[in-house]
Amino acid sequence: MKRTSFSLWASMLVLLLVLTGCAGESGGSSGEDSGDKTTISFMHWRNEDKAVFDEIIAEFEDANPDIAVEMNIYPSDQYQATAQRMLQEGSTGDVFTSFPGAQFESLQKAGIFADLTDEEFVSKFDENLISVGQKDGKQLALPYQLVFNIPVYNKGMFEELGLEVPKSWTEFQEMADTLLENGITPIAFPGADIGPNQFMNSMMMNNALDEDVFAKLQSGEESLTNEWWVKTLEDFQLLEQKGYIQKNALGTNADSAMAMVANEEAAMIASGSYHMASILGLNPDLQLDLLAPITVEESEAVYEGINTATFMLAVNSKSEKQEQAKKFIDFLSEPEIASKYANGTGQHLTVTDVNYESEALKNTAYWIDEKKTRFQPRFLITNAQIEDAVLSSIENVLGGEDPMAAAEAAQKIVDENRE
Amino acid sequence: MKTSKTIYLFFLPGLILYSIFFLYPTASALFYSFTDWDGFSEAFQFVGFHNFERALTGDSIFWKTVGNNLKFMLVVVILQTIVALAFAMIVLKNTKTTVFLRALYFFPTILSSVSVAFIWSFIYDPSLGILNQLLELAGLDFLAQNWLGNANIAIYSLAITQIWFHAGQMLIVFVAGLQAIPQEMYEVAKIEGASKWQTFRSVTWPLLAPSATIVVAYTTIQSFKAFDLVFAMTGGGPNNSTEIIATYIYEVAFRSYQFGYASSISVIFMIIIAFITFLQFKALRSDRVSY
Repeated sequence: MKRTSFSLWASMLVLLLVLTGCAGESGGSSGEDSGDKTTISFMHWRNEDKAVFDEIIAEFEDANPDIAVEMNIYPSDQYQATAQRMLQEGSTGDVFTSFPGAQFESLQKAGIFADLTDEEFVSKFDENLISVGQKDGKQLALPYQLVFNIPVYNKGMFEELGLEVPKSWTEFQEMADTLLENGITPIAFPGADIGPNQFMNSMMMNNALDEDVFAKLQSGEESLTNEWWVKTLEDFQLLEQKGYIQKNALGTNADSAMAMVANEEAAMIASGSYHMASILGLNPDLQLDLLAPITVEESEAVYEGINTATFMLAVNSKSEKQEQAKKFIDFLSEPEIASKYANGTGQHLTVTDVNYESEALKNTAYWIDEKKTRFQPRFLITNAQIEDAVLSSIENVLGGEDPMAAAEAAQKIVDENRE
Repeated sequence: MKTSKTIYLFFLPGLILYSIFFLYPTASALFYSFTDWDGFSEAFQFVGFHNFERALTGDSIFWKTVGNNLKFMLVVVILQTIVALAFAMIVLKNTKTTVFLRALYFFPTILSSVSVAFIWSFIYDPSLGILNQLLELAGLDFLAQNWLGNANIAIYSLAITQIWFHAGQMLIVFVAGLQAIPQEMYEVAKIEGASKWQTFRSVTWPLLAPSATIVVAYTTIQSFKAFDLVFAMTGGGPNNSTEIIATYIYEVAFRSYQFGYASSISVIFMIIIAFITFLQFKALRSDRVSY
């Protein structure tokens, strides 16, 4: 009896050890090289792109039989928190992606990026869109995706109601009033998650034309109590007080806000172009486009929208497989492969000569060349606690606080955390 | 003599594990709390008590998180103890129904915290959530709230979720404690003509003190460390109204890359928990219980 019991426990222990040994983050191979094949690790945060990447990787491996690619995908929050440590160790993320802003700054300070300046594939990217991956004249990372962080709107609904895209703050309010009169919530605001950090960009783009405004805020030359931010908060207050955003907006998450647009309860969602594919998935009959609030008069408006070149491809300087890693980035930057990725994931890309096939991408591709957009201001805040203070002031105003009081409270936190 | 030395060897595996997984990280946190280490650079500077001074005198968010944590802890400790005790008394006898109910009440405990966060985020959704819809159906629209989006009530909404999640676990402790009380005590109380309340106050509660001490201490520590629920349901918002010390440490360490400062907050956090637990042990005086 004792022997049976011992055998049972021993078997269970062995099974547990085997299972533990097999369990990897990617669920794939161990990442070790085998024979003539070198396995590189591709680390990123976009689980929703896994199927498309699987196809692309299979093509890459066919074209490069001596290289295998193993994907290591982490949720974006976890990625922000743990990527640096894993990259520093060098065994994971021969090719990796970085967010612009705070993460890019911190990774470059730690010397994680290999210099890509002289690589031929850099020329395959739109040079106007990759500066966010540069530091001290070196191209350290190459943004792959191009996102427009401005509200997605129901173009068909606008046509039915005879509404034009507003070109000023006055016109924006008139448009919102018409929508309200027709029983439609003008803006679905996902205030419980991404709403404040996305909508702040277009709400402030024409209130603070200086693109260094957040750098100056961090250095103490600017203050949130100055007009550019207080006016932005007043504009948020107006949206809330006039019912242009839904009631209880701070408790609404992105999924619920997307459902409001898909069900045509709301005309816009205050997020970005990356939600178009999901909304069309919920209601394929919708005709969608992008629309940013112009918070000044038409004659004062300089910018029409916000862009973010993100999902920045990079090679780990600690990697021993840098040549293979560069080959993979070169492959991703080929127009044919980039087109496959763009159409498969519903994203615009920074790679030139991409052929957009989906209606949503084709209909909004004009934003790349024809619209005057600026880089997402939020990503120019490199101190996470200062970023939180800025976002908290928006939440504070939407919660009923006076804009100046909210700005003062946020500025106090900025002062406490200034470097 | 040889035997007594051998006995000490049995402590060794436990001592090694305890040293690796508790003593060493604690000592490391204490060490780094006096530095400006960013979490990845090899070089760092010793900054003396600067991090502690910053947390205690120059960081308004830190004090807000302490306040949020105390609110959260008080609501959870009081309500969870009451709910767990009340349900334990209901399911005390070993019948088929009560055994089933015990399993049912214990069920939330076995769920993962992310699942619980998902379920309750849906319940609390202001427009699609079942809670507001039920209140409207019952004609109680005026009670419908923006449960997680209103900075004044979000922390209490999280506390309710925490209670739902863990009350079943504490119920089991109370059931064990109640079943250990000798029946003779109740018989004597009955003969003496004690009412139900008098019996509870003079027999049950004093003899339940060891269990209550465990429940209150464990619930306190658990509510201070309720990182996962808060992180998944509100991320500390809106306007830092649900930011607690544990989520703030994460924020400072992993988003701001200020590991030295985060370590100093962790040390303060440890002292706060130890102090409150000590006060609870003193207040509940579990050592005075005797039959």
